Amino acid sequence: MSTLLDISGLSRRFGGLVAVGDVGMEVAAGSVHGLIGPNGAGKTTMLNLISGHLASSAGKIQFDGSDITRWPVDRRARFGIRRTFQNLRLFREMTVLENIMVGMHGQTHCEIWHALLRSPQQQAEETAITERAREALDFVGLAHLADMQAGALPYGSQRLVEIARAIVARPKLLLLDEPAAGLNGAESQRMVDLIRMIRASGVTVLLVEHHMDVVMPSCDCITVLNYGRRLANGSPAEIRAHPEVIKAYLGGRLKRRAKPTQSSQPEAAHASP
Amino acid sequence: MRSSLIARLGVALLLAAVPLLQSNAYWVHIFSLALIGVILAFSQQLLVGMAGIVSLGQGAFYGIGAYTAASLAISFHVPFVLAIVAGGLLAGLSSLLLIPIVRLKGSSLAVATLGFAIIVHLVMLNEDWLTGGSIGMIDIPAPTLFGFSLGGEKALYYICLITAAAVFLAFDRIAHSRFGRALTAISQDEEAARASGINIAVYKSKCFLVAAIASGIAGGLYAFHSRYLNPNDFDFQKSIDILIMVVIGGIRSLPGAALGAAIVVLIPELLRASGEFRLLLFGVMVIVFAGAGSKGLSGILVDLVKYIAQHGQRWLLQKPWTARL
Ligand SMILES: Nc1ncnc2c1ncn2[C@@H]1O[C@H](COP(=O)(O)OP(=O)(O)O)[C@@H](O)[C@H]1O
Ligand SMILES: [Mg+2]
Repeated sequence: MSTLLDISGLSRRFGGLVAVGDVGMEVAAGSVHGLIGPNGAGKTTMLNLISGHLASSAGKIQFDGSDITRWPVDRRARFGIRRTFQNLRLFREMTVLENIMVGMHGQTHCEIWHALLRSPQQQAEETAITERAREALDFVGLAHLADMQAGALPYGSQRLVEIARAIVARPKLLLLDEPAAGLNGAESQRMVDLIRMIRASGVTVLLVEHHMDVVMPSCDCITVLNYGRRLANGSPAEIRAHPEVIKAYLGGRLKRRAKPTQSSQPEAAHASP
Repeated sequence: MRSSLIARLGVALLLAAVPLLQSNAYWVHIFSLALIGVILAFSQQLLVGMAGIVSLGQGAFYGIGAYTAASLAISFHVPFVLAIVAGGLLAGLSSLLLIPIVRLKGSSLAVATLGFAIIVHLVMLNEDWLTGGSIGMIDIPAPTLFGFSLGGEKALYYICLITAAAVFLAFDRIAHSRFGRALTAISQDEEAARASGINIAVYKSKCFLVAAIASGIAGGLYAFHSRYLNPNDFDFQKSIDILIMVVIGGIRSLPGAALGAAIVVLIPELLRASGEFRLLLFGVMVIVFAGAGSKGLSGILVDLVKYIAQHGQRWLLQKPWTARL
């Protein structure tokens, strides 16, 4: 498998704090790659560096053959990097369908004058955008909510809308920041299925997640961060057996996994710092 | 879809009938001024309602359009349609000066646009060679089309009405397009908009450009409407008036903006009889309507219609008056 995302020596400091320090990571094209670690380990900062929402202090980000280290967010998005946010960022007062239509922005072209003239090209593009948005909504299982105001949906549905907005343009890489946070057991299971479907559709996924019952069955490869440093990298089986990872992070979590009945609530408390 | 078309036709017919119902030249003159205000309010609505940008500089673009159209008509006898279009284009061009500041947010951006308005006003006041200085522009010729004079108040009213209707349709199309969605997305969450591939600075600049063209066209209309330009018609107070129109009419709604413009232009005229109290009364009304929140007056009206639709039926069925008979 070829490497889609190749990160080397990536660092980000906030004042004196090293949120991400000298991290290297390779994400294989077509894979689901997990990024795990305790709260404050630097996972969200990593995603922000990859999406461009934060500038790196040092290091290099190579994506699909281009050095994107200095590219702005919108250019990376148009180039095929889309994301969701740990603290949901929907266009709350737009409808669900409109939210997802905005996701098509980078892949479409009609300008103001096309809209003013209602040119055939513009009409065709609008139809295509609407169709694709409906498909994406159907894909995440929310077709019936198309005309609802996004901000009025329950939390779990809002997460799915955010994912639909991110995948509607068929990105090369999807960054998911704790998509199962706050979901119950059944919803988490559906998230695992959804991530599988996204992968099957040809999108590479970088998954930040605390729910081990989502991470372990989904990921081909996992990178573990601790205090901004890379602690380990390997297959789920390797990571599960890694003594340092167990010590720093997994110990409590894998035990909890053995008792699935109480899995969701304590996790949710961890969800957002 | 269909009902909105019928509503639009109804409003258009009603507005077209206005000069027939009230043919007093003074009032037709004021109604034309209100329609020019409507165009200005539309331009502000594109910025505030769609992109979430508070502009305190629309009065400057209005002035640039007016002075451009007036100069072309006076010095080069440019036909009025072309002069007005040129006014819009030059106003649009001047909006490109704002590109360095579009990265600012919220009140910083608003204050920066206010600075722009102040500078433009100073140029109008002080650059006599270009703008006539404090005397302004006098002897603007009456508009003519194919040799016919359109200088009458009614003709001007219809010119303003057609232009306002065209701007309404244009902005309505923009609102339901990829461009309009991008602006709305920016107003709701800039980070998420960027993550969807939207270049914020480019889209805000384009929004300023389109809004400035509309304001400039309104200015061109004003030049032919007033036939005389005074620099103080375009001081920063004008920009604030334009913002007031949208806030009291209702943010995000084009009909709301039109309603707000009509109020801002017409109420002080209607209150003329109350002499020096009229501005005070106007101020109080602004506070009351603004108190309706972002829905503004148009939101109150919609709520009222809904309320009557829901409860009116019950009142009719109860027929309380029959008891008293
Ligand atoms: N914008 C910021 N300013 C200052 N410190 C930050 C900022 N973002 C994150 N941090 C700090 O960087 C560290 C890593 O945070 P984060 O990447 O959010 O961790 P995680 O997502 O793994 O829980 C934390 O100590 C956090 O407090
Ligand atoms: Mg995080």
